[in-house]
Amino acid sequence: MNRPHAFSKGHSAYPRGSAFSISPNSFQPRSQPALRRRRQLFQRLCLLAGVSFLLTILIFPSWRAAVIPTLSLGLIHSSGDLQLQTVRYYDLSEVQGSEKGWERGERVLMLTPLRDASSHLPMFFSHLRNLTYPHNLIDLAFLVSDSRDDTLRMLSSMLQEIQNDADPKMSFGEISVIQKDFGQKVQQDVESRHGFEAQASRRKLMAQARNWLLSATLRPTHSWVYWRDADVETAPFTIIEDLMRHDKDVIVPNVWRPLPDWLGGEQPYDLNSWQESETALALADTLDEDAVIVEGYAEYATWRPHLAYLRDPYGDPDMEMELDGIGGVSILAKARVFRAGVHFPAFSFEKHAETEGFGKMAKRMKFSVVGLPHYTIWHLYEPSVDDLRHMDEMEKERQAQEQIEREHELADKQKQSSNSESQNDAEKGSSEGPAAQPPKDAAKGNSKQDKS
Amino acid sequence: MAVARSMRRTSPISLLLAALLAFGFICFLLTPSSSSSSASASASSSRQRQQDAAEHPLSPPTKPFLKSQSYRSDGYQAAPPVVHYNLNNLTSTSDSIVNGERILILTPLARFYQEYWDNLEKLSYPHELISLGFIAPKTKAGNTAIAALEKAISKTQNGPIDNRFASISILRQDFEPPLTTQDEKVRHKLSSQKDRRESMSRARNSLVFTTLGPSTSWVLWLDADIVETPTTLIQDLTSYDQPVIVPNCFQRYYDKNSRKWDIRPYDFNSWIDSEQAQVLAKDMGPDEILLEGYQELPTYRTLMAYLADLKNLDPRRLLELDGVGGTALMVKADVHRDGAMFPAFPFFHLVETEGFAKMARRLGYGVFGLPDYLIYHYNE
Repeated sequence: MNRPHAFSKGHSAYPRGSAFSISPNSFQPRSQPALRRRRQLFQRLCLLAGVSFLLTILIFPSWRAAVIPTLSLGLIHSSGDLQLQTVRYYDLSEVQGSEKGWERGERVLMLTPLRDASSHLPMFFSHLRNLTYPHNLIDLAFLVSDSRDDTLRMLSSMLQEIQNDADPKMSFGEISVIQKDFGQKVQQDVESRHGFEAQASRRKLMAQARNWLLSATLRPTHSWVYWRDADVETAPFTIIEDLMRHDKDVIVPNVWRPLPDWLGGEQPYDLNSWQESETALALADTLDEDAVIVEGYAEYATWRPHLAYLRDPYGDPDMEMELDGIGGVSILAKARVFRAGVHFPAFSFEKHAETEGFGKMAKRMKFSVVGLPHYTIWHLYEPSVDDLRHMDEMEKERQAQEQIEREHELADKQKQSSNSESQNDAEKGSSEGPAAQPPKDAAKGNSKQDKS
Repeated sequence: MAVARSMRRTSPISLLLAALLAFGFICFLLTPSSSSSSASASASSSRQRQQDAAEHPLSPPTKPFLKSQSYRSDGYQAAPPVVHYNLNNLTSTSDSIVNGERILILTPLARFYQEYWDNLEKLSYPHELISLGFIAPKTKAGNTAIAALEKAISKTQNGPIDNRFASISILRQDFEPPLTTQDEKVRHKLSSQKDRRESMSRARNSLVFTTLGPSTSWVLWLDADIVETPTTLIQDLTSYDQPVIVPNCFQRYYDKNSRKWDIRPYDFNSWIDSEQAQVLAKDMGPDEILLEGYQELPTYRTLMAYLADLKNLDPRRLLELDGVGGTALMVKADVHRDGAMFPAFPFFHLVETEGFAKMARRLGYGVFGLPDYLIYHYNE
């Protein structure tokens, strides 16, 4: 509708503007005749240059790498590995480890050896999530060895979950899951794990496993290394900071475990943290070069002061004690200790192996090795076979007792509301029956003291 | 003029098409570069490099990592991935190339010699399977050496892909070296040897335990002053399939009497133990060490350096040893993983590489030497 109108308008406007402004100079001589004349020459020169360039590139293949990417504007990639960073530079003097590592952004490598540990994993991961040390500064590494349950699958899915957590502060740094079987023949149940004969070879295998885990995952960026077993039941969320504040080369907390009431309620667990004694040194001299002294067995009476027995529940948690051998449940060490070569001897080192040998070797290299007698973490209580049998007996007794009570109740409804609530408290389906427990049971204490 | 007129007649579209065609032709000509065999090898090597790369910078130093990083949907940088390493599948065998076994070459760097680097570059083992690790003290000499090293590295790592090494880690050590001089005479004095070698042990341990990572099959300790080896050094040493193996380190020198170049033994730390040495050790205090090549300590050990049969070299001749030198030392990564390290304290009166041999033997590994397989040390 509007068009013709607009056209006519434009048309009418035309003569006014340009009809008389046509330049009279349109037939001027060409501006650059010389260039025109040499055009052919230019074309030939370009052609020649192009052909010679192609020829040189064909003849000298080594030039291509330099020439092609610049000419093709990145269209022809000789290969994609131009996108790889291959050189890394590290200054180890920047990763010495200090008492306030979290403020200086010091990286911690947290190491956990696992074997048939799927039942402990949910508990372990709840501890992980609760750690107050900045998670992005913690690198996690696990060694899954000789496992017959689905530890590996569970571990991967739980790690995946934590890394994809909606809270960006929840995810950790580098995560490595190492699989390596050492052909562990020794059974994992408490009984055989702590038998005396099996100890030396078991400790050597454990040492080997720890060394494999450490050597595969220690990086030049780490300032601290934190060893933590999966079967710790209770530990402060701030444990890394708490241990770090002491600024020692190697430091361990006290490790106890809770027990059912009929076994005394609690018990020292980790007997591998000790101070050297004259008796033990004398004993060591009498032993064969390859012998391994293990603590807590009557066969080796060492009379060493143990960290575990020095605990006072109301003592100062910051109190320190010099140690020579240490246990492996929870060790915080400066990474420089491991860089210097200190490791878990899988051979007899000064008559000791694994974590005790580690303590000895650290001492030998003049590092400080310290324990905190009044700062306690709690190891999971796994009932021994004897305990289980005993618990069974008690359970039967309790049920019999309840039966009697129920009969009483039926007979006399008004008298008692119920005392069967206590049934819910019993954690591992055990104990804590009514006060009717025979006193000899409580004194029996037949659960062996455990060594990690 | 005829050319010009025909050009004028063609439309710009056909010119564009022609240009495209020419471009495509050039691409076709150049992309399957040089001879087809090496081209496919290079392509496969770069593919392998790409595949082996880690996703995140927080990864083992033996792996290169991707420069581009991924982000979460809410804008935060993506958390590092969960990475599985199955060390049950990691082998170290005599057929190292076929099995694609990764080598980590470790060098404590005191001085940088271009000959050392050139020799390294010439090694014929596939470079995409070789990672390098260096450690240097934070001294003036260390800085100079590192600067020279970085120059050589950037040249190699930006050069032809097949020559590039898989990854390179450069470490600066966190403790002072006991001696400020690298002067030959001071360096070899008995009293300063203990400090020097203990410091060297710590440097070696720092290097191996931070760079070993989960995918290394073999560790080759190569001193910075080894300037000449056979190009097949790695294949040769791995072919014996021994946990610890050491070639014989010699030195080329100009014999003024006969007026010609000759060779002489250099490294005396590879030996078979003797009873005299055992007796000497028995009478020593716990902090004293036995050293080789000093008149004060007549050990009467059998030195591999003197066992070379120069007239009739048999490079396959194998010898069981008790102590080893570190000038060139091939170790199965498993030996280090089990904990064998270089004692920085007297370990059975031995330190550093000799102590390492002792520790490896205590862990149940055999230690071997190749008296007739020669490598050469720099001559100062």
